[in-house]
Amino acid sequence: MDARTAAPGAGTPTGAASYFLIESKGNWAGPNAGTFLLDAVALAEAGHRVRVLLVEDGVLTAVGTDAPEIRRLAGAGVEILVDDFSAAQRALSATTLSPHVRLAGMDVAAAALTEDGCRGVWH
Amino acid sequence: MAVMERRMWDLLLILTAAPHSGDVVTSALRLSQAVLDRGGSVRVWACGYANMMTQDTFGDTKLPNTRDPKGHYPSPSAVVQRMIADGEGRFGWIACTACSEERGAVHHVPQVRHRSPLRLARTIASARQTLYLGGA
Repeated sequence: MDARTAAPGAGTPTGAASYFLIESKGNWAGPNAGTFLLDAVALAEAGHRVRVLLVEDGVLTAVGTDAPEIRRLAGAGVEILVDDFSAAQRALSATTLSPHVRLAGMDVAAAALTEDGCRGVWH
Repeated sequence: MAVMERRMWDLLLILTAAPHSGDVVTSALRLSQAVLDRGGSVRVWACGYANMMTQDTFGDTKLPNTRDPKGHYPSPSAVVQRMIADGEGRFGWIACTACSEERGAVHHVPQVRHRSPLRLARTIASARQTLYLGGA
């Protein structure tokens, strides 16, 4: 997906939609994990509201201060959340994660996914 | 002519991953509980090996943990039963009949509903939000 194919449609007054994308795969799981995050970038660059939650092995993408995938998402204006339980299970603390992310519980995902008009995708 | 209103659920999770494949069942149950805690409603459609979770042969507990022999570790079927009971109609678990029969996993706990995959599309239409967990 690129910014052109992700262009806002005419379904809402402003044309923009809200996406809550959940990435559960680590980078080593294959190219699809990175592609999913690039889709998030394309949607954000097309003017949509995009939030990404990294969960399970997906949290490992946020390790380090200069993770390129995270930097790209943040540059596009994507809000990046890291599941606190998954991070704790992998012995990751907030200090080992990118400064562009914040820890969040599953309650944040539940709130987002039950918002009117929010489009959720789990990968 | 009277029109029957279809009940709408807040969230439908289609759980396609095998329980032993990773953390996905934990994630599905955590997300379900979080929606229930907000007063919402959730249904889980168990697909493939996820149908093994609710077999009545498990009993209420897992095998003893030798590092914590006095600990109580509920079986997956007990967890699902508890969530259905605590949810008071806001949590449902559906077993796919085709997936269950293919695996000889037809002895589900009685709280689980049995549905043909032919009703999957209708089940999705009855949810405001649907997520596939575990791949197609």
